[in-house]
Amino acid sequence: MAEDGSDPLPELKPFFSRAGGKIFIIWLAMTAVGVLVGIYAPHHLLPTMLSTQGTKVWQTIVLFTILAAPVAAFVYAVGLYSLLGWKARGFGKSDEPPPDGPSLRGDAPMTALWVGVSAVLVIILLVWGLGEFTAEQTTHADTLEVNVTGQQWLWTFTYPDAGNVASRSLVLPVNRPVQFNVTSVDVTHGFWPAALGVQVDANPNTVTVIQATPDKLGGFTVRCSQLCGLYHSLMYASGSVVTPQKFDAWLRGHGAPVGKAAEAADVKASS
Amino acid sequence: MADTPEPGGAGPSSEPPASGIPESPTSGASAAPEVRKPRSVGLILTVVMAAAALAGVALFFHSQYYRSPSGTLVATPAGTVTVNGRTLQHVNLAFNTYPDSTGMVNGKPIHPSGNPAWPAYGPTNQFQVPAHALVTVTVRQYDSGGTLNNPFFATVRGTVGDVARVNGKLVHSIDPNNVGHTFTVRGVPGTDPGFFLNVPFPLVPGDSQTDNGKYETVTFSFVSGSKGTYAWNCEFPCGTGLDSFGGPMSAFGFMSGFIHVV
Repeated sequence: MAEDGSDPLPELKPFFSRAGGKIFIIWLAMTAVGVLVGIYAPHHLLPTMLSTQGTKVWQTIVLFTILAAPVAAFVYAVGLYSLLGWKARGFGKSDEPPPDGPSLRGDAPMTALWVGVSAVLVIILLVWGLGEFTAEQTTHADTLEVNVTGQQWLWTFTYPDAGNVASRSLVLPVNRPVQFNVTSVDVTHGFWPAALGVQVDANPNTVTVIQATPDKLGGFTVRCSQLCGLYHSLMYASGSVVTPQKFDAWLRGHGAPVGKAAEAADVKASS
Repeated sequence: MADTPEPGGAGPSSEPPASGIPESPTSGASAAPEVRKPRSVGLILTVVMAAAALAGVALFFHSQYYRSPSGTLVATPAGTVTVNGRTLQHVNLAFNTYPDSTGMVNGKPIHPSGNPAWPAYGPTNQFQVPAHALVTVTVRQYDSGGTLNNPFFATVRGTVGDVARVNGKLVHSIDPNNVGHTFTVRGVPGTDPGFFLNVPFPLVPGDSQTDNGKYETVTFSFVSGSKGTYAWNCEFPCGTGLDSFGGPMSAFGFMSGFIHVV
């Protein structure tokens, strides 16, 4: 009902029926754009996912974007049409402000539709999220433990199952679950190997556990996701997922940098 | 869309104000006509002010871009050398670590805004070396120290042979409980991301000062990476607060800096 007690809907229905088609077309176009962004943008914005968790993160981003596209498009479509089609005429030519529109109430079908769609979307997201979260908690017998230590402004990795081999780079075998035991020796850092689809804070005096299963060979970067001081922007480490054979050989080499052997001490002065 | 009526069907201002508030006497017909500025003036002013604000932000960040107060130390050429069959340019670099950043080196303060309780590298914290060259570094470590919070950095890594010489003695690592400072270099995006160098320096027992003549001499060699700017810092918690990573550890010009590889 309008504030003056009259029902504005009959008076407004011609406007909505006339605008509805245009809003629908705008909504349809923006929904299509949103869906395409959801499908293709991750290819340009996300790294190549190298783990099952990373793939799930990718799928979640795509699904959620596609589900959100029609909702966001509806808001934008109505807003855009209102901005262009219903803008106040002659603004600035008079001291009189444009009149407020009527207060709309009592459109039960529209309210039910809005609440229903929102509820269905939220339930889908909840079920999906809980399913993925539960899958993360599964432990495996052959899990490889890696202790991750953050400090200003470097990451170091040790492998307790292999005699505490320590390394500046994170090397992982493919198709073997990995458990990261993450901590910090100074301030809070953020352990973020984005290509593995995991991210967790590295807190001092606390060990936080997170798991990932690399399932593709390749290189990736470990970044810090918490603003941690002077060289935060430079706090990263290189990582790689290698075959089990290469991983074992790397461990036997005590964690020497992959692909770059340390210079031997064979130095001769030429001049 | 020009024929689209306004929502609510409100017409021109012939109707009385809905609020019921009486109109101001100054809005009557007898009032002097108001001189209104053209809208283009407002637009131009808005654009100019926005441009000025953006320029201010850019100037601020430019002024904040770090420049060493003590200049850049350029490595001195030392002929050529063969490393694993490769002939490389050989250069030397010498710098020190001091417990008091207000001290003087070669007649200049180690840091122009130093603090006697803050250690610092000197004579500068910015170095320049050629790309893909053998760089031999000599460090005099004048500072006391303590225990590393991560023993990883007690091991020499990334030097030729993964070794260094401490007072002439070849070492692969030092006692993590007796560390003065470390010289830890890493590649940054745009350079050689895999580059990593870590050399720990043993502490000088006691609360040594620059002028007491006590120091540890550490020498090591490494092969420089591709051209670019590499970051280095000390990994011994020699600062203040924040688990000793505050103060000189969190301010430019003391225990961190850059290596420019040209």
